[in-house]
Amino acid sequence: MDASDQRCTDPTVLDLWHPLVAVSEMATDNVERTLLLGFEIMYGTDRDGTRFAVRVDEPDEALPVLDRHGYLWTSLGAPPADVFTIPETAEPDRRTLNAASIKVATSAPRAIENFLDMGHFPYVHTDYLGVEPHTEVAEYRVEIENDELWARDCFFYQPMAAASAVGGQLSEYTYRVPHPYCVMLYKSSPTDPSRSDVIGLFVQAMTQDTIRAHNFLSVIDETSSDTVLRRFQQIIFSQDKPILENQFPTRLPLDPRVETPIRADRSAIVYRRWLTELGLAYAVIPAG
Amino acid sequence: MSPPPESAWYPVARSDDAAFRHVHQAKLLGRELAVWRADDGFVNVWENRCLHRGVRLSVGMNEGMELKCLYHGWRYANRTGGCTYIPAHPADSPARTICNATFPALERYGLVWTCLDGDIDFAPVDLLEGGGSFPLRALPFAAPPELVRRHLPAGDDHAGEDGTPRWFVQPVDADACVVYGVLTDTPAPDRRIAVLRRHARRLEDLRAEVEEIAATLPRPAPLVAAMEQADVPVDIGGPARTVGGTDQRVVVARKWETAAEVVAFELAPIDEPLPTVQPGAHIDVRLPNGSTRQYSLTNPAGDQARYVIAVKREPDSRGGSIHLHDEVHEGDELVISAPRNNFGLRRDAVETTLIAGGIGITPLLSMAETLAADGLPFVLHCFVRSADHLCFSERLDGLGDAVVRHIGLDPAGTAAQIRRALGAHRVARHVYICGPGPMLDAARRVAGEIGWPDEAVHFEYFANPNEIDRSNGFEISLARSGLTLEVPAGQSILEVLRANGVGLISSCEQGACGTCIVDVIDGDPIHHDVFLNATERAAGDRIVTCVSRSASGRLVLDL
Amino acid sequence: MITLYDYDLSVNCYKQRLLMSLLDVDYESVPVDFFPGWEHKSEAFRKINPLGHIPVLVDGDYVLRDAHAILVYLAAKYDPSGRWYPTDDPELLGEVAQWMLFAEGTTNTASAARLHDNLGYEFDVDTLRAGAHRLFRVLDEHLWFREQEAGPDGPAWVAAAPHPTVADLAIFPDVMLSEEGGISRLDYPALRRWTDRVRRLDRFVLMPGIHPVSAERPGPGPMAAGRS
Repeated sequence: MDASDQRCTDPTVLDLWHPLVAVSEMATDNVERTLLLGFEIMYGTDRDGTRFAVRVDEPDEALPVLDRHGYLWTSLGAPPADVFTIPETAEPDRRTLNAASIKVATSAPRAIENFLDMGHFPYVHTDYLGVEPHTEVAEYRVEIENDELWARDCFFYQPMAAASAVGGQLSEYTYRVPHPYCVMLYKSSPTDPSRSDVIGLFVQAMTQDTIRAHNFLSVIDETSSDTVLRRFQQIIFSQDKPILENQFPTRLPLDPRVETPIRADRSAIVYRRWLTELGLAYAVIPAG
Repeated sequence: MSPPPESAWYPVARSDDAAFRHVHQAKLLGRELAVWRADDGFVNVWENRCLHRGVRLSVGMNEGMELKCLYHGWRYANRTGGCTYIPAHPADSPARTICNATFPALERYGLVWTCLDGDIDFAPVDLLEGGGSFPLRALPFAAPPELVRRHLPAGDDHAGEDGTPRWFVQPVDADACVVYGVLTDTPAPDRRIAVLRRHARRLEDLRAEVEEIAATLPRPAPLVAAMEQADVPVDIGGPARTVGGTDQRVVVARKWETAAEVVAFELAPIDEPLPTVQPGAHIDVRLPNGSTRQYSLTNPAGDQARYVIAVKREPDSRGGSIHLHDEVHEGDELVISAPRNNFGLRRDAVETTLIAGGIGITPLLSMAETLAADGLPFVLHCFVRSADHLCFSERLDGLGDAVVRHIGLDPAGTAAQIRRALGAHRVARHVYICGPGPMLDAARRVAGEIGWPDEAVHFEYFANPNEIDRSNGFEISLARSGLTLEVPAGQSILEVLRANGVGLISSCEQGACGTCIVDVIDGDPIHHDVFLNATERAAGDRIVTCVSRSASGRLVLDL
Repeated sequence: MITLYDYDLSVNCYKQRLLMSLLDVDYESVPVDFFPGWEHKSEAFRKINPLGHIPVLVDGDYVLRDAHAILVYLAAKYDPSGRWYPTDDPELLGEVAQWMLFAEGTTNTASAARLHDNLGYEFDVDTLRAGAHRLFRVLDEHLWFREQEAGPDGPAWVAAAPHPTVADLAIFPDVMLSEEGGISRLDYPALRRWTDRVRRLDRFVLMPGIHPVSAERPGPGPMAAGRS
């Protein structure tokens, strides 16, 4: 796991909280290794239940850790007081779980941008999130609010929008990017249309060109088993995977002229500009 | 100094690697290529990267005359690599600037050759005089090209009863190459496989030897191909290889009477390949007598080796059609514009109805053949005065049951048939109408009466090419150059600037990429783009010139 | 009714789903929480398969494990044409069996590398990738000569028959998903063309990570004219 040439020096990224693992998948009294921003990390749970993480090359200096949204988070710099909040997870009847943590040979921002994209639904998630000839991406709104990116009024026809869906529907999505490498979407729950299911992708940038994608789910569904909920999300993510692994360059180019955007890519346009404004340099190709 | 490796031609595939409806993945000098043969036999060698989001085109689909990207279904035309369709915006015609990077391709000796620097002429190695050519199995070597070249048997070392292979090396990367052998003599059919096997075995032995040597050498750093720049916009005024947009010379390769009073012209390129055709597009034909006429292209998407237009003799017209009928002959040269498309075809319809009156068939034939190739459902209704007024009847026959011919109907009969052809409107049904003014008016009226919404009724007046107004006109002043220009309804600021020689770079031409932004010194822009954020919009000091307009009568631009 | 203990992202489960679709055999898929739940290693699942792996097929009272064995059973039982597992042609059958063993190799190299790269299995991935490349070289040459022998319009399948056999299906997903294990198919053009042919079979089904290919011939074409 030598990734020393990929070690992050970008303070913007070093100072963020980064997800490492689903807490439900951590064994007690056990140490695991992973990569984060080119650094080898050891993490685990002490005998007394305390979570910890350290850089393998600096084993005496404990890294800050937080247990949030079902994941263990750490930071290699000076992080903010807390990870972004997801108020919905406090609702008692909600089921929050990790659908899977899957490694992908791509950069973190490519994975985020793909998550924000609706135009690929009929082609990549055929018969699930889209189907030809329903290919049109209607105009939607994108704003930066309180240092987060929000895309609203996103409508798309979906043949099978969720594990619990029966038949096609016109789905309304709201996307939220509260962190350069984390994204969520809210869509009306098939079992209770007045409330939203929350689906997240929390990306652990192992290096600039490899990630571990933690698939977060928080849904209102009393009937489907965990296996069934996970299954749906794993299918969807695994359909995206070959796309992400066939994209060149792997790192996200921030110059809007390098890859031709269209109106449907509005959220990606704003996302790339936002990363530029943040001065983010890790896993991207900065605008020239 | 030896010439750079890019300025040479190399084989990148055997001809049969470019198999029917397949996309072959290749790599040359560290740069990935997508090699695909269209149904018309043309072999395309493209950068293996969709310019939209960088996805490899080799995982896309060879649809026959277009290559379809796996990610968002964008379609690119055979020969030019120009984008013909963007499914996320089915009603829009993609900008001409949206064009993948292409490389020249030639087939010789059973191999597909290309050159990364497209300005170099194919210099056929002192090749294979006299004999035929029989390509052997190509073999990839995990070894540096130079090392492999040194070890390839020279002269008669490799000779056998079936002759001496001539070797060609495709430098894949610093540490990889593909070796192609070609024999001058084609073996008898019953010995073919044996000859192929014998040479393959020998080459494999050589490979084992060379790879063993390569494994002992330090591993060379991979060649890193520069990210293709073709999608970074180029100044439209410059020599823009892929952008098009200027006039070009063509030769009349064929002229024939396709129907009574109608002559068809097949126009072949002279210098440059013809630009990308989108279904429904038209060109300006500049006539030797100084006038310009507009004609729809009948070519379906991706079928654009030669343009085919049809001209009806109009005795009452200003003479353009008569000139083409009487004065322009096979072998003559004409000057034409690049295609423009105000009559774009949606390919997301559940059913498409095409209604043609007389010579109005031309853009609809292009649409019909495109839909047929895509396997999308449609009916083409042709209204003509008599059977011999039916243009391109062999092509119509090729569309089989999808064509309904209506012959010799009076206006009332025509309207009745149109009513029947349209039927009640249902979601995702679209109709496209082209024909003489009275028929078009009748068709639009009928469609309205039976409840077809305006956005499902598409039409083009071929005799009266009024474009649909985008908004009202205004004036722009260029502060630095002192020019004042009128931006009329139906034209963008960008188009007006270009028409007046102000070379502004652009890319997506739909207000998404921000490439054609200009500073506003005075005036009140109306922003139609999606690039500027709310603050920038409110500030009003920048404008995306391909789509945005002015609320004030005048905009002063920092140009 | 047939029951398949199934995981959508498993190549070995997919082989069964693919064959049952091609043969138009109905079955019920029982999802196993393979990852991250490791349900196949649970006490409960080991009662179904003591080896603790999937797929497992249950057909009435008959229980069978191991992907390639299940392919043999399904083809022998449910393919009336006798082509997918050609029991009455000894030479062809021997060849099919030979390539089924080859498929054990591609599964244990290429698909194992995929488990390393996707799910973090602790394997020596460099050795797996090198092993996969050795097998792919052999298969690419084999398929290239099969194409040459069959001629431009002749279908070329893994075994010397004018139709595919279970050997094609046993190898196909290991090849098709090899890039998820860091194994490029750049050097194997005949292998890539063969994956097109498999994907063009009637009733072919996808699995996540395997993308479609264009139709070899134009689609259904113009709609019936003369609507009234």
